[in-house]
Amino acid sequence: MIYQILNKIDQRVHIESVKAHCDIPCGIYDPIIAQISALTVVRMLDLMSEFEAKTPDRNKDYMNSMSRYVTVKEEHAERAKAEIRVIWGDYLKAQHLEKYPNAHALVHKIMQLGSKVRQTTDREQATQLVEAINEFAQIFWETKGIATKRAKAPYAPALELVYPAL
Amino acid sequence: MLKLLKISGESLTPEYQNGDFVMISKIPFLFVPPSPGDIIAFHQPGYGLLIKRIQQITPEGEVSVIGSHADSVDSRVFGLVKKENILGKVFWHVQKS
Repeated sequence: MIYQILNKIDQRVHIESVKAHCDIPCGIYDPIIAQISALTVVRMLDLMSEFEAKTPDRNKDYMNSMSRYVTVKEEHAERAKAEIRVIWGDYLKAQHLEKYPNAHALVHKIMQLGSKVRQTTDREQATQLVEAINEFAQIFWETKGIATKRAKAPYAPALELVYPAL
Repeated sequence: MLKLLKISGESLTPEYQNGDFVMISKIPFLFVPPSPGDIIAFHQPGYGLLIKRIQQITPEGEVSVIGSHADSVDSRVFGLVKKENILGKVFWHVQKS
């Protein structure tokens, strides 16, 4: 009854809000998007190599297809970086960082590798990006007390990813 | 003196739910100083007007606040709350259901 009265008053005069906020979205963080994005970077590099090998003509069709691979590689490298930045900046708290003091250095390494795979076509750098993000995923799941397992992704390039063992 | 506020967010669940109303005031502090367990509203620079539970109080009167939810944004994220930023203590709570 009192609530209904207050609610009606709120609808008319808008009572000030006081925030009891959690991070938004509330607790929903998962490094899998970054992991898949990094894997996509490797996949694009493989497709670029295959396409280059089988296409002798450097005509406009070649340029068009190649630029599409590059665009997807760019987008996914940036997405991987963005996803890791959000987890690092919004989810990881002081107590996590005390337990995992190398987290800052690891995130910096991921940022650097993410830029390197945009600048180059070096597959080795891209697989290093996948592995660095795997390492981050391992830490992330450990902070939640969830065990992890390593398994090959069920699609090309079938590199190993760290998954929560649910 | 008195302020009626509407809660937005889930960090104090299950006691305080999103949409609940609370009346706050500094008057209770005239009789009993802020103490751990009190639910207070306060301004936190960069975060706005927040409501949390007092966890600890330093000798200087600054308070550490915490939510009930594991992912609550509280002193674990933004540090201590200055005494002068505290608007008051909840002394009346109207639950949504």
